[in-house]
Amino acid sequence: MPGEAAQLPLLTQFLQQFWATAGLPAAGLNSFELALEEIFMNVAMHAVQGGSVPRVELSLARAGDSVTLAVEDDGPQFDPLSLAAPDVAASLGDRPIGGLGVFLVRQLMDAVSYHRVGACNRLSMSKRIGVG
Amino acid sequence: MFDIQLGAAGEVVMAGRLDATQCDTALKFLDVVAEPHVIDLARLDYVASAGLRVFLLTQKRARGLGGGLKLINVNQQIYDIFRYAGFDRIIDIARGPRATGE
Repeated sequence: MPGEAAQLPLLTQFLQQFWATAGLPAAGLNSFELALEEIFMNVAMHAVQGGSVPRVELSLARAGDSVTLAVEDDGPQFDPLSLAAPDVAASLGDRPIGGLGVFLVRQLMDAVSYHRVGACNRLSMSKRIGVG
Repeated sequence: MFDIQLGAAGEVVMAGRLDATQCDTALKFLDVVAEPHVIDLARLDYVASAGLRVFLLTQKRARGLGGGLKLINVNQQIYDIFRYAGFDRIIDIARGPRATGE
């Protein structure tokens, strides 16, 4: 899958299909949709700045009541978890326009990890979704 | 699907998914609303950080005009996203009638 912003709806559909096929509770889907959007859009944005479109691979796995979403791209090495947390207590005038995405992912997921695997960035996110 | 329009009382009504691919549409619409005030989110299902940016920019513009935004009928999931981002400190946000649980 090319790492371009326009591909986001297709990736979201893939996630929704996985969710429905696995019979997972609807309440847990939103967090994963958000995590997917934030991480994929980060990759796509960096690609625009870098001038080349990376390949992005998405994988989803369920183990018991936990779901893991992994996003892998072959772009330049970048660990989004190295970004400083935004100041969510700042006043309106002091709010920067961006920087919230990765912060929200950390809030919504139980575990988030970054690994450089060969020539790829791999961001892995998992969360328990409350099924037996 | 994402939809944005003006309601009968001059409020802005958003519905569907405000994801990163829809933010330009939303901002273009809001930019031509002379004095954005009430935005009804009763039928908004999804927002992420790109969507938050739409509300932040619109709030900055509204404050610049001497007013401010009021988001109404916000569902619990979307309210949580606003709260995590600390937007409940900078925008007036009212939850929907069905979202009363803590």
